[in-house]
Amino acid sequence: MNRYEKWAAGAVALMLVAGAAIFFYAPTDYLQGPVQRIFYLHVSSAIAAYGCFAVVLLGGLIYLRNENAVADRFARAGALVGVIFTTITLVMGMLWAKPIWGTFWTWDARLTSTLVLWIIYVGYLLVRRLAEPGRQAARLAAVVGIFGFIDVPIVHFSVTWWRTQHPGPVIVNDALPAAMLGTFLFTMACTLVLAGVMVWIRYRIETLQDEKLHLAEPVQVVTAREPEPVP
Amino acid sequence: MSLVVGNGITHWFGRELALEGVDLVIDTGEHMAVLGDNGAGKTTLLRILSTMLRPTSGRLQIAGLDAVKERRRLRHYLGYVAHATGLYPALTAAENLEFFCDLQEVARTRVEEALDVVGLVPMAKRRAGELSRGMQQRLAIARAILHEPRLLILDEPDTSLGDDAADLLTRVMRDKTVVMATHDHALANRLCQRTLILRHGRSHGTASRLHVVK
Amino acid sequence: MNPVRVAFAVFRKDVRSEWRTREIVPALAQFIVLALLIGNFGFVIDRTNAANIAPGILWLALVFAGLVAFGRTFAAEREQASLDAMLMTPASPVAIFAGKALAATALLIVCEAVLLPALAIFFGTPLSADVVFAVLLATIGMAALGVMFAAIVARVRARELMLPLLTLPLWIPFVIAGGTAVQSAMGLPGNYQEAIGLLIDFDILFVVLTSLAARFVLDE
Repeated sequence: MNRYEKWAAGAVALMLVAGAAIFFYAPTDYLQGPVQRIFYLHVSSAIAAYGCFAVVLLGGLIYLRNENAVADRFARAGALVGVIFTTITLVMGMLWAKPIWGTFWTWDARLTSTLVLWIIYVGYLLVRRLAEPGRQAARLAAVVGIFGFIDVPIVHFSVTWWRTQHPGPVIVNDALPAAMLGTFLFTMACTLVLAGVMVWIRYRIETLQDEKLHLAEPVQVVTAREPEPVP
Repeated sequence: MSLVVGNGITHWFGRELALEGVDLVIDTGEHMAVLGDNGAGKTTLLRILSTMLRPTSGRLQIAGLDAVKERRRLRHYLGYVAHATGLYPALTAAENLEFFCDLQEVARTRVEEALDVVGLVPMAKRRAGELSRGMQQRLAIARAILHEPRLLILDEPDTSLGDDAADLLTRVMRDKTVVMATHDHALANRLCQRTLILRHGRSHGTASRLHVVK
Repeated sequence: MNPVRVAFAVFRKDVRSEWRTREIVPALAQFIVLALLIGNFGFVIDRTNAANIAPGILWLALVFAGLVAFGRTFAAEREQASLDAMLMTPASPVAIFAGKALAATALLIVCEAVLLPALAIFFGTPLSADVVFAVLLATIGMAALGVMFAAIVARVRARELMLPLLTLPLWIPFVIAGGTAVQSAMGLPGNYQEAIGLLIDFDILFVVLTSLAARFVLDE
């Protein structure tokens, strides 16, 4: 077992503990019933996704500034993992919405902006795949990632200004009983660890792929060789 | 005086090695031909010289400027005729050149002079799309010399030029430093003092006149 | 180096090319009329509901016409390999980008000159200065974003697919604010002043951002 496998196993074990906490420790919600248990993972994976996209944003900005290949690889890894967590958020949200709101989907601000987030970063991954690998793909994708990150709050704001029905943040105004809050915080911590491990492993995969494509750190030949004499 | 000094120029396209450790020196006023089969790396080398492509590794200096870091300033001194002419078919020959005068910041009087060098003055008011392939190639050459570049980079300029290709190119290349990729050994011998031979992306040295045919 | 002169030269070159060949505008105008036609049948429109549906159809037609127009601006340069020739010059990429964006904006404004009267005729909606102003404001920001993504997809494969995929999410704020402005200008609920204010904010934000990004998108 190499260290990547060890970390992966650890992250999975943590998630299983979190699952146990969600189902056996946290109390059942009085109004929503067992469906409310979706909340723990739903919100945690949304936060993990935002974290991943922040990595994409930072990686993109650093790459555009000094063409740092490490930053670009982290951005790539973050985008992929972020899309996975956004997908989880959307699916769990829809599963929760059906019994509670009576519909899988509604065009409210948070749902719309999360969907837009998902579309933008799927586009980001496609640009990476369809552009010529190396500098070009990295630059173009960095621009897409930066614009995407800026767009999401704007879409969110535009729709809020329209209409919204998503439940507001329940954690901050201590509306949550202690057992629920504890379960949530623990699940969030485990999910963030999982996301971090996934990004780290993906980073390693991207590095290996770059090496295959000779895109790893360009070796600048600095030996000022004497030019061959002109015949 | 060397105008171009390149050390270990290497370029990878994904997993394909297009150029491997090419060294080259071109003196001011010299005409150098680049010979090689299709896929030998001629166009890659020329695109790197034109600063449109960055080498994966290696160093390249043109006119004392770094071809990667100072490429924007360097582009004042470069003229490049690529495979594709890149003309605007709906604009006339003169309008095509006038547009590039604006981008290059040179006086529009250069249009007439450049057209004269390539023998296209009678076609000045014809749309580029209506010109024959050979005339389009001449127009692309005229565009590359508008700003009187110090280094002229020609990628198979003889394509579709016809019988008087050599005469035309002699006129264009006079008093300039030139790198020219070509298949035509005879043309290379006639126009250039020196030849760089590329095979599978590697330089096989230079020769002052080429007598070997493959 | 005078960037204004470069931008103007690029703008004039594009407009002149389009004027001579008339490749894009007639086809786009036709496209817009067809979009209205399909909208009419798709929504089963009659006198009573036309005013409610017209703003939506306006934005649908405008968004898809815009995608076609902006896709063409760089596709043409790419096919003719003239983008490389332009970038080989010492002209600043930002100025080249500005020129292309201005030309694309002009193209879209010509399309709007067909779309708005056609909407008024077919759907009986009022064609007021307020509607025109809102649409023009949205055009500025949409053009800046559209041309930037057109420049990006010009360098990737499957570009016809990628352009809408990347551009549409960024256009949503313009469609929301512009849609509200047009609705209220057509007598439906909505705060016109507030929507126009938002459109101006979005325009400034995205024109600045795309100008900053142009260097990375166009160079090399």
